[in-house]
Formats: sequence, C-alpha cells, structure tokens
Amino acid sequence: MLADVIPGLMSVLDPTVLFFIVVGVFVGIVFGSIPGLTATMAIVMFLPVTYTMEPIEGVSTLIALYVGGISGGLIAAILLNIPGTPSSIATTFDGTPLARKGQAGKALGVGVVFSFCGTILGLLVLVLVSPLLASVAIKFGPYEYCTLALFALSLVITLTGRDLVKGLISGLLGVMLATVGLAPVDSAKRFTFGMVDLNAGFSLLTLLIGLFAITEVIKAAEDVRKPFKAEVESNVKIKGFGFSWAEFVSQKFNMVRSSAIGIVIGILPGIGGAISGMLAYTAAKNQSKYPEKFGTGIIDGVVASESANNAGIGGAMIPLLTLGIPGDAATAMLLGGLMVHQIAPGPLIFDKSGVEVFGIFFALAFSAIAMLCLELFGIKIFIRVLKVPKYLLLPVIMVLCVIGAIGNANRMFDVWTVMIFGVIGYLLIKAKIPHVPMILGFILGPIFELNFRRAVQHAQIDPTGFIGHPIAICFFVVTVIVIFFSLRRQRKEAALLKASEES
Amino acid sequence: MKKFATALTLAAALTVAAAPAAFADDTYPSQTINMICSHGAGGDTDYNARLISRMLEKKLGVSVVVNNVTGANGSIALTQYKDEKADGYTLIATNAMSLASNEASGLSDFGYDAFEVIGIYGKQCGENLLVRADAPYNNLEELIAATQKDPETITLGVAMGGSSYIAGLIMQTEKNAKFAMVDAGGDGAERMTSLLGGHIDVTIAPYTLAKEYIESGKVKSLCTLMSQRLPATPDIPTASESGVPNLQIDTLYVLLAPKGTPAAVTEKVNAAVQDIVNNDPEYKQAIMDFNFQTPYALSIADSIARLKEQREHMMSYSKYLQ
Repeated sequence: MLADVIPGLMSVLDPTVLFFIVVGVFVGIVFGSIPGLTATMAIVMFLPVTYTMEPIEGVSTLIALYVGGISGGLIAAILLNIPGTPSSIATTFDGTPLARKGQAGKALGVGVVFSFCGTILGLLVLVLVSPLLASVAIKFGPYEYCTLALFALSLVITLTGRDLVKGLISGLLGVMLATVGLAPVDSAKRFTFGMVDLNAGFSLLTLLIGLFAITEVIKAAEDVRKPFKAEVESNVKIKGFGFSWAEFVSQKFNMVRSSAIGIVIGILPGIGGAISGMLAYTAAKNQSKYPEKFGTGIIDGVVASESANNAGIGGAMIPLLTLGIPGDAATAMLLGGLMVHQIAPGPLIFDKSGVEVFGIFFALAFSAIAMLCLELFGIKIFIRVLKVPKYLLLPVIMVLCVIGAIGNANRMFDVWTVMIFGVIGYLLIKAKIPHVPMILGFILGPIFELNFRRAVQHAQIDPTGFIGHPIAICFFVVTVIVIFFSLRRQRKEAALLKASEES
Repeated sequence: MKKFATALTLAAALTVAAAPAAFADDTYPSQTINMICSHGAGGDTDYNARLISRMLEKKLGVSVVVNNVTGANGSIALTQYKDEKADGYTLIATNAMSLASNEASGLSDFGYDAFEVIGIYGKQCGENLLVRADAPYNNLEELIAATQKDPETITLGVAMGGSSYIAGLIMQTEKNAKFAMVDAGGDGAERMTSLLGGHIDVTIAPYTLAKEYIESGKVKSLCTLMSQRLPATPDIPTASESGVPNLQIDTLYVLLAPKGTPAAVTEKVNAAVQDIVNNDPEYKQAIMDFNFQTPYALSIADSIARLKEQREHMMSYSKYLQ
C-alpha cells in the first residue's frame, strides 16, 4: 500500500493535472460564491467533461470543484449575507456582522484560512483512519439516524435567538414544507394538488435562494429612495491573512472541535454540510466563555462554520471511497466520476486502485492549497463587491439566482418556487420570524420521518426495538439534556436582552 | 392555480425549444437535438444517455445535448416532455423499469404508449439478491425455505414501491416466501449499506455496487434477477433457474420521443443507435467498463413488444403497489 504513495503523488504532479486542479478550484469558488450556484452544480456541469479525460485528471478536477465550491460559499455569506451554498449558512451568523463592522477583510481571511485547515484535518482523518471510521458509520441504522435527526432538531432552540415561539414556528414551517411531494417509504403523494411538478417536492436549493437571496433583494428595495452610502470602511488594508497569529492560536480548540463535527457529519451519509456548519456553530457557542457575543461579529463563529463544512469533504470521502456510499449529491456524482474511470470504490479500493487513491488524496491536498492561494489573493477583489451600489449588484444576483434555480433540475417550476419562497421569507422577516430554523427543519424533518418510519418497520419485526441500539439511546438522552439546558439558557439570554433594552 | 399552471407550461414550452418544426425527412437532423435524461447525473441511466448522445453526435452530425430533468423516479421529466413538440429535436432517455413501475404504482398515469418509441438501447448489469457472506443460505431455494421456517423474521430491505419491492412481491406470491419487508432506500448504495451494517438480512442491489463486496468475501450473491446470466458473471445463476421463473427484472435503457414524432425520424435514430451499439468497439468497451453491460439494442417493433411485456408484468402487481 505504501508503495503506491509515490506513484500517486507523481500522477498528480503532472502539469496538466495541476492545471486542472487550479482551474477546478477557481470554477468551484465562482460557483460557490454566486448565490444560487453550488458546488454540486459545478460538479454536475463538469462531470460529463471528465468522462473523456485521463482518470487522475478527471477525478482531480471533480475534487478541485468540490473543494472550491464548498469553500467559495463563504464569500457571499460574509459580504452579502447570502450563503453561497447550503453549507455556508452558519458563516452568515457572524461573518456578516463582522463585515458590517468594517472587518470584511478579516472575516474573509479567517474563513479562507480555516476552510483550508478544516480541509487538511479532514484529509488527515481520511488518510489515516478511514476504513475504521467507515465500519462505524455503517452501524448507523434507522434508529440511530432518527435520534440523530431529533438531536440536531433540538439545535433550533440555540439558533433561534430570543423569541423561542417564533423559532419553533419557523422550524415547523420548514418541516411542513419538506412534506410536500412523495412521502418517504410508501411514496404517497402529499400536498401535490394534482400538480406533477410538486411530486418531486421542493429542493433545498430553491428554499435557500428564496429565503436568503431574494429576501436580501426585497429588503434592499426598501432603501431604494435613500441615498447610497459607499461602504468606505471596506478600504481597510489587509496585511497577510487579515488576522493575527494570536487570534489564530486562540481558535485552535474551536477549529479542532468544529472539524471533528464536520468530519463526523460528513461520514454519515445523507446529513450534509449545512447541518455540520450549524452544529459546529452551536457547539462553539455553547462551550464559549462569551456565548452572548456570538452573532454580533466575532471570528469564532466563522471559524466554527468554515472549519466544519470543509472538514466534511474529507469526511464524506471516507464512505465514498471505502464503501462506495455517497453521502450527498456532490459525492454521488464523484462516485459516478470514479466508476467511469474504473476506480471502483469499496473495501478493495486500496488493493485495486492504490495509486489512484493516493492520487485522490494528493489532489485533495493540492486543491486545498490552490483554494487557499486563490482566495487569499482574491480577498482584495472580492471586497470591492461591497463598493458596488446595491441597485446594480442585487439585480445581477437575482438573475444568477434564477439561473441557479433552473440549473437545479432544468425546470421553470423551481424559478417560481424561488420567487414564492422569497416573498414568504420577506413576510417572515416582517413578522420577525428567523429563517435558519426553517432550513434546519426542512433538512432534518425528512431525515427524521424516513428513519422513524423505517424504525417502526424494524420494531414490528424485532420488539426489543430501541433497547438494542445503544448509540440511539445515547443520542436520545443527549437530546433531552440539550433541550433542558438550552431552554434554560435561552430564557436567561432573552431576559438579559430584554433588561438591556429596557434600561 | 389554473393560471399558474398555464404560466408554468407556457414558460416551460418557451424555454425548451422554439425550433422550427418543418423539415424534410432526409434533412433530419439539421439542428441541435435536445436529449432529456429523466435521472440525475452520475447514475447509470445518465451515463448511458450521455454515452449514446456522444456517439450519436458523430453519427448524425449535429450536437446532441443532454439535460437532466430529475425528480420522482423520472416521472417529472416524462410528464413534462411527453407533449413536447414532436419534431424529432426533443428525445427522452430513461429506463423502462421506471416507466413501468411508475405506472404500476400510480405515480404516473401513462405508460410507454404515451410516447413514440425510438428503441431500447441498453440493458443494466442486473439486480442481484444479496446476503452477507456469513448467512447460512447459499441459494434462493434455501433462503425461501428459511423464510417459511421462521416467517417474518428475515428482513428483506427494499425500496417500497420500487422494482426491488416488486421482486419481493413476486417471491411472496409465487413461492410463498415469508420475508419481513422493510424500506431500505431507493438507492442501491443505501440498501448495500444497510446490508453491510447488519440492519437488514437480504437485499437487492445492482451488480456494480455489490461487485467489490462479493470479491472481498463480505457479501454473497444468491442470484441475478435478470432474465439471463450476465456474461461478466457466468457463475451467478438467474432467479428463474433457482426456482422462481417469474422473478425477472431487466432494467432496460430506452429512448423515447414525444407522441406524434414522424416515423422517419424514429427509424433514422433507431438505425443509428443500433449501429452504434452493435458495431462500435469504443461503445462496447465504455459500457463494459462502467457498468458491466454488454451491447443490447432492439428495433422499434421489438422494443415496443418488450416494453409491452414488461408493462404487463408490472401491472399485474399494481394492486399491491397503490
């Protein structure tokens, strides 16, 4: 196996491969940073192109697109308050306030560097212990996923801000929206009103674009008569990475914890990067000495989200390579890309395609480096976005959102849903109902329902059911504890906020 | 709502093709052909569509652009494009199993006859009936006997309503097998994971996904559900040889055109497709590498007969599916 390391490295050190990696990362960043276009879409578009390439060229290109796409989301998240991809939702929580404080350069620098660190940590885990972790991951069955989804849903309380009722309303709205279409397990049509297009349900992407991008546009329309103030503070000179070494060191535990969360969520098929970012964010907040500062613009929040979502890449590659199980849409396409080139993921991959596997590892490492360089050089350019008047910028974003919506499944239907979600999102803002719990509910509701229904089927066969599943019991107990504590803390915070507002 | 629906169809029609319909038979094709793939990028239906489109480009001399319109097991694309302009510039690539099982389960209210059939152009490497290597049964008969001995204890992981579920129904109705059928996901990879993780005892998944596990000795294939043994795996018997004659599930890749597409067009494309599939060595190699497929293409008449047969087979189980 070790004999494959050097040939693997050499295969990637080919100038054409390196060129494809840089181009792939660049294109990925572009797709990631534009609201509406995602890493998945970049891979969809380029997958057929890679069919005709040399194996290592094709696979490296896809990996580069993946790395660039996941990381690129942070740019729009920080500068525009619009997550470029679902996995950068949590980056907006502190990234945007930082940018509003005039520290956009710092926020971007932190995001980029910790994206890089997260990717590398994920890669290390992938290289060192992937077969072991993969065998743990398959132990997750319906009971485990069901309780995990329940646990993640309890995050709504922490992410909701001061008004718990409104947070829960939002979360439930998300769960309800996700029930449209074919039901899990029995494929019954729900809330389709005879419209064929509704059979497929709503996609996360259209909800995300609608709630975050279109609402930004509508909000800006409110200010249309006000004179435009150029955001002069974005002219702050950025030296090096935009933040100090001391700040980097202060985040080391946060980075490791967030990356670990990202890797774990990445390994478990079907959960996805959006959740890992939010989980890492709440973990960082709950364990912080100054949780009240989260959401006001501190780097801890950006670090948590960005380390986690990029670490998830290495995590998602673990079941992909060692089991042939894709965890999300992006890795499902990578699987197709591997199989075309006769790299068959599975338990024998190291024996059969050792050189290619190490090629993949090195391609991932080089992609991370390319991402770091491209984005660090790019910060000064990205930041100029803030100087573009919003009445010019936002219509362009709106067009891109429509393109993204069509690109999702080549359907006009998705464009209409984006617009409708945009209007709903705006009304929710007016009602002071937060958006994030809605996304959380939308993603986790179906995971919970599917696995709950499967668990019920299993329980009918094996009446011991739940009792024989210690991991599931653990999740359940933790969920109860988390709900208890976060309710208590949430009340305290709300009371504090209220007091400070009254004084 | 009606207005919205009209706007929707209008918008869809506008975006897809505003192409001139008139053409003389011998000038077809003279412009880009839009090929709609009913399943997502990276899967086998998509791979076959993209491969044949690439080869068709060379053959027909015009671009053949594949667009994935995904959702609800292909039914979204099929519904949306069945009434598309029938000028031969919109083709639909799908798999016959989705077409038939969607109709049988009531997901769609139409079958292959809502389209002009261009032809079946490929056959998947076949779903295999899989158990973990340490399972006490070595063939289908032993497995079915075991389920009768301890009814409702051996779990068969299927996609409820999908072809794997129908396979379970066939075993139940024909051979009185007593599996406890549970949902383990519409994606073969998901069902493999469940099998490996010990959450289910038996499952059905494409050979491509199981191959590595069969070779590494973690999983056993009891039989293939194809009507004939896969040339790449001559040792794996078919289910019909193993005592369940009706257990035949062939996933066929098929090209369709909107209803009313002139016969001259469908015949021309069918001829081109058959020529590629049967005679192009590059094509042969590519489908073998990706999916262990061997060339398989039928004439229009044979394709229709095959689709009809598969539809009747599926429809006879429709009462269990709705």
